[in-house]
Amino acid sequence: MIRIGNASGFYGDRLSAMREQLEGGHLDVLTGDYLAELTMLILGRDRMKDSSLGYAKTFLRQMEDCLALALDQGVKIVVNAGGLNPEGLARKLDAKVGYVTGDDLKARFPEALTANAYLGAWEIAECVNLGAQVVVTGRVTDASLVVGPAAAHFGWARDDWDRLAGATVAGHVLECGTQATGGNYSFFTEIDVTRPGFPIAEIDEDGSCLITKHDGTGGAVTTDTVTAQLLYEIGAPEYLGPDVTTHFDTIRLEEHERGVRISGVKGSPPPDTLKVCLNTLGGFRNSTTFVLTGLDVDAKAELVQRQLHDAIGAEGLTWTLARTDQRDAATEEQASALLHVTIKTADPKRAKGFSRAAIELALASYPGFHVTAPPGDGTPFGVYKAAYVNRDEVSAKAVLL
Amino acid sequence: MKRPLGTIVGARSGDKGGDANLGVWVRSDKAYEWLNGFLTTEKLKELLPEATEVSRYELPNLKALNFVLHGLLGDGVASSTRFDPQAKALGEWLRGREVEIPEELL
Repeated sequence: MIRIGNASGFYGDRLSAMREQLEGGHLDVLTGDYLAELTMLILGRDRMKDSSLGYAKTFLRQMEDCLALALDQGVKIVVNAGGLNPEGLARKLDAKVGYVTGDDLKARFPEALTANAYLGAWEIAECVNLGAQVVVTGRVTDASLVVGPAAAHFGWARDDWDRLAGATVAGHVLECGTQATGGNYSFFTEIDVTRPGFPIAEIDEDGSCLITKHDGTGGAVTTDTVTAQLLYEIGAPEYLGPDVTTHFDTIRLEEHERGVRISGVKGSPPPDTLKVCLNTLGGFRNSTTFVLTGLDVDAKAELVQRQLHDAIGAEGLTWTLARTDQRDAATEEQASALLHVTIKTADPKRAKGFSRAAIELALASYPGFHVTAPPGDGTPFGVYKAAYVNRDEVSAKAVLL
Repeated sequence: MKRPLGTIVGARSGDKGGDANLGVWVRSDKAYEWLNGFLTTEKLKELLPEATEVSRYELPNLKALNFVLHGLLGDGVASSTRFDPQAKALGEWLRGREVEIPEELL
């Protein structure tokens, strides 16, 4: 059995989770997911400003705090915090560090700000086999962070489809951190989720696992909390990955005194192509929210809309009116509706001009004019697209420093 | 009797590029039999009128259904002007809709 924990479900997750997982009880491996589709865009913009960046900076802070503790306990760290620059991050860590490279396909997609193939588990497994204490990757599938160390530990073969599929399910349950232990959970009133603990998978040689968490931590691991996470960000029951196709309609869940057992998972060969996460700069956006209080809400909305269109043109503006107002209300807040407007434009000057145009209306528009927060200068926004490439166009590599 | 769907149904939703996914599950075989018959693609579109193109998948082993709402999020989270650009609360919206739930499941 190998005991794999998770300490991060996104870039910005609870900073102390790493320490909590290391101090809370025994682990063999501690993983962390830092990369969402949106994160790749954020890191892409970091890298534009400074080419030595492009990784998740919060992970470095966690390592300053916890690396010695992890090494002392013999816990391996496996994270995708390398983002767009795994080597850069790896070189900042004082340990035996392995990194995975080869996901960057910017040369193949020059029009994109970021273009990264979703790599799999085998390069992570190789880093572990080479003796890495810490493994940092760029874009790998989230579940690979769990599948890789499990495959290395048990010496699984590349066609051990059911084992790989079982570990993929474990990885999918872990990848969003506390979403497996009662966070963001429909029946939250039935458990105490004040401070849910981070999840752990105890994976067996056959790929089955027990989902659990350290004793004394908050939240809960039940078939309901695990089911909720299994349903997160999936499509068809045939869950495609770079190493295996996992059949979600074969998953069996059983309550266990320490959590939930997952077994029965079937796998089959993966597709011939790899998915690529493409982010391009789409333009610039800005937004504000007008507060419309009391009488004539529709007419007030119509007036300010007409005025803003007059000032900067209607093109690229999206309006929504949320009728949060109540008749004859006892508080001013309950008497108020919210009119949201967003501009998306290729022209940064127009995105900035939007703010001035909106604020210039302050004494010249509907009675009671105010906004929830003054609009800023506008920010660039990305457009996400998935692409698919043949496996032989990608050469993933494991490197031990 | 009209009750919020969320009285007996749990949900979790999220984003995949411009698509949203919405998984729902129940806690007994009887409830799943009802849910599977009740929550068709058409019914989902009726309850969530923002949905246009919808794929529906059955996961009886989890007593769950998974819906993919194609194109709901435009070009994805960073560019979407939708109120909830990552569809995080789509499931909770659905759970709040009132529908006829058989008495014996309540």
